[in-house]
Amino acid sequence: MLNRILEQIKALGCTIWELKETTTRSWEFYFIRHELDQNRVTEVKTFGVTLYRPLEGGLLGSASGELSPTASEAEIKKTLSDIYFQASLVKNPAYRLNDKPVASPELKDVDVAAIAKEFITAMSQVHETETEDINSYEIFVKEITRHYRNSNGVESTVRYPSSMIEVILNARSGEHEIELYRCFRSGTCDAEKLCRDTEKALRYAKDRLVTEPTPKLNTFDVLFSTSDAVQIYEYFSDKMSADMIFRKLSDWEPGKAIAENMTGDRITMKAVSALENSSSDYPIDEEGAAIRDRVLIRSGVAENIWGHRQFCQYLGAEDSSIVRNLVVEGGARSEEEIRRGDYLEVVEYSSFQVDAMGGDIAGEIRLGYLHQNGQVRIVCGGSVTGQMAEVIPTMEFSAETEQYNNFVIPRVTRLKNLKITGIA
Amino acid sequence: MKAPFSPYLDALAPGMKALADILGRSFDYVSILSTDSVGFTVSISQRSKRVTGTNMTTERGNVVRVWRNGQYSEYAFNEVSGSIEELAETIRKELDRQFAVLALTGTKAFDTPILADEPLELFVEKETERLPEQEDMAALVERFTGLSARGMETIPRALDCLLNASSTHICKMFLTKNRFLRQSYVYTEGSCAAYAPNDAGEIKFAYNGVSGCCGPEVLEGLKKVVEELPKTMEEMLASEKIVPGEYEIITDPGISGLIAHEAFGHGVEMDMFVKKRALGAEYIGKRVGSDLCTMHEGALCEESVTAYAFDDEGTLAGDVTEIDHGILKTGICDALAALRLGTVPTGNGKRENFAHKAYTRMTNTIFDSGDSTFEEMVASVKHGYLLRGTESGMEDPKHWGIQCIIARGYEIKDGAFTGKVVSPVVMTGYVPDLLGGICMASRDRKVDGNGGCGKGHKEWVKVADGGPYLKTKARLG
Repeated sequence: MLNRILEQIKALGCTIWELKETTTRSWEFYFIRHELDQNRVTEVKTFGVTLYRPLEGGLLGSASGELSPTASEAEIKKTLSDIYFQASLVKNPAYRLNDKPVASPELKDVDVAAIAKEFITAMSQVHETETEDINSYEIFVKEITRHYRNSNGVESTVRYPSSMIEVILNARSGEHEIELYRCFRSGTCDAEKLCRDTEKALRYAKDRLVTEPTPKLNTFDVLFSTSDAVQIYEYFSDKMSADMIFRKLSDWEPGKAIAENMTGDRITMKAVSALENSSSDYPIDEEGAAIRDRVLIRSGVAENIWGHRQFCQYLGAEDSSIVRNLVVEGGARSEEEIRRGDYLEVVEYSSFQVDAMGGDIAGEIRLGYLHQNGQVRIVCGGSVTGQMAEVIPTMEFSAETEQYNNFVIPRVTRLKNLKITGIA
Repeated sequence: MKAPFSPYLDALAPGMKALADILGRSFDYVSILSTDSVGFTVSISQRSKRVTGTNMTTERGNVVRVWRNGQYSEYAFNEVSGSIEELAETIRKELDRQFAVLALTGTKAFDTPILADEPLELFVEKETERLPEQEDMAALVERFTGLSARGMETIPRALDCLLNASSTHICKMFLTKNRFLRQSYVYTEGSCAAYAPNDAGEIKFAYNGVSGCCGPEVLEGLKKVVEELPKTMEEMLASEKIVPGEYEIITDPGISGLIAHEAFGHGVEMDMFVKKRALGAEYIGKRVGSDLCTMHEGALCEESVTAYAFDDEGTLAGDVTEIDHGILKTGICDALAALRLGTVPTGNGKRENFAHKAYTRMTNTIFDSGDSTFEEMVASVKHGYLLRGTESGMEDPKHWGIQCIIARGYEIKDGAFTGKVVSPVVMTGYVPDLLGGICMASRDRKVDGNGGCGKGHKEWVKVADGGPYLKTKARLG
């Protein structure tokens, strides 16, 4: 198929192109309680094509499309011809495709059957009780093979596992039953961590049965100790992306502090090529560039941008790449020290969000622990809102870290003076 | 013109029928859904431009569903490299490998009856003015470039103005031993978004769009959207933070739709009833809203982005009255959930694409209109906000909580707008309180189909929702 596509590209007279062949094998198991609702297998292959053409005024045209492996010769010809024409309409400042050869890593088959079996077995080993148990879960285990080739002769292939399990948990007291949602992503199955995290969530579920309405707190320190905190740190990586900076959605600049008057912990964030059991554990990005470890932010000062070649080159960062794995260094204080005084630790939001563009923080509280005046109350309801620009100078985070799939972040993060809309 | 059905699927049909026949020797039920949907995405801004032949609904592939011994299994694929006999053998072998793992782990099946296979043939080609695959892309790119430039001239402090559009010609074929259904239709959506910094340097966002079960002709409406955006941006730039509290609210049709979608749309997806994940199951026949609260759901309700003729399990599209004058009547149901609950499917079995599982999903979720005018509604507010601009929402079918993040609120005091705008607004509350508090609904209504909907945090599909202006009370923060 690749050769058929290349022949047509040549026939069009196109000399700048990229091809991406992606093959995804997936095994899926859907459970209601511990009974199998449905089992599924998927075998899907796609051929992504981007064609470029130099245009007047130093501009570069580009357009893309996708071909099915069942495409006929006529369909391939028409699709590519359309893409090549459309490339003449899309006028962007010129940039260059990757021209540095990169060696493909050794390709190892992913044993999706064995990984799926581990997930199924692990879920059967989670300690459940009569009042706290698993409602349902969905297991997805994938082997992804990504082959990249461009007109500069750069060619590479990566193959990696990517897994996800979505778990619904219940706790009940008499007629009263509550539900919690968890979604764990990883490379393969870490059975011990899956059981530990699921059982921890079951304990939260039990606590949610005995909540009282969140009181009106006006502004209060909020502690993040779950995967919701990833959203906070994604804000920092988004702000360092070339796409955001070029589009003027971020004004962070290498060499400049990300905030003024920083009195809390100053963030250091690194992009890393390899991160064990991440679902993005591969050394070559989607544009054929080697992913190298680099510091994005060092002690609160922007250092390196990352992102698509197009935008990185526009900003003068020639040697960058798309990054997926990020590691945030721990802060100066221990978790115990961060957990001092009065604070609200929210461990369940309906949907916690940090807006990458405006920095707005928002989430409805579904389960929180209100530490106030030496007492702990379990609360539910109301919302947390705030603004990243306002909390960065004083944010604190623990020395201890925790991995959530492709992110390693401080185990606890304290954002000061967020707005709490209570309901009591 | 009619949106023509895919010649590729017509040519594929005999092979897929043969595949169903061969697999029918090993399984008691076999269905195959085949898709061939083409389209485009165009994004034009001052900073970058992009044209691609893909979007969230373009696809070509097949999914086979089989039943044996109370167990449903599926195999999705998009490559046929050998004979149909070899393909059937691959499917059998791969599913057998899964059954072996299930046996090793001692997994029991959630025993489910076999689907009925009543004879039915259907061939639908819906009307459209234009087809995405024939769209004059040069003209579209030029028009969007001009609109983006116009936005930059007129929208205060604009850093960029992005015109975005996608259009898909959907073609799907569903077959079993006794059924042969084919449909072809086009849907299109487009939007204009601008962003600009306020005095504090915070980026504010203004957005609006157009959509419909039609061709790219609907994108002509973006000119009006661009003309209206400067006023929206002025309001966003001048917006303040809201003082948290409970307020009287008037929701514009977009926010009414968001509430319909999050409050009861997800809450009556009946695959959640099977798992006992939805409180709605216990409230059928009971009051969940005020007399003014009537809500419909179904692909037949509106010619929107999700107005199909049959769903991804071969069930014909429907129109269900979920809430009738405040009383919860029924939910919506995919085919397997219907079997498990002993009810009938409603035509709401949808997949993200052929490679994904079918779940009970929404189509058009719409509140019925009332008999008030917008002016009467505003005049009745002592202190509250008109809420406008959907950002996001999150369902909570088990506990009937609701979270909606809304772009802005226009303050109303003593029956008149004060000119003060707040942004963003997080609306939270308990669904029966929110719906029970509906005391006025306007005569007009509008349905919006921009964006997508996930189940949990995945499985993205096209949906539409809407309604009239509604007046109720809610907690805002």
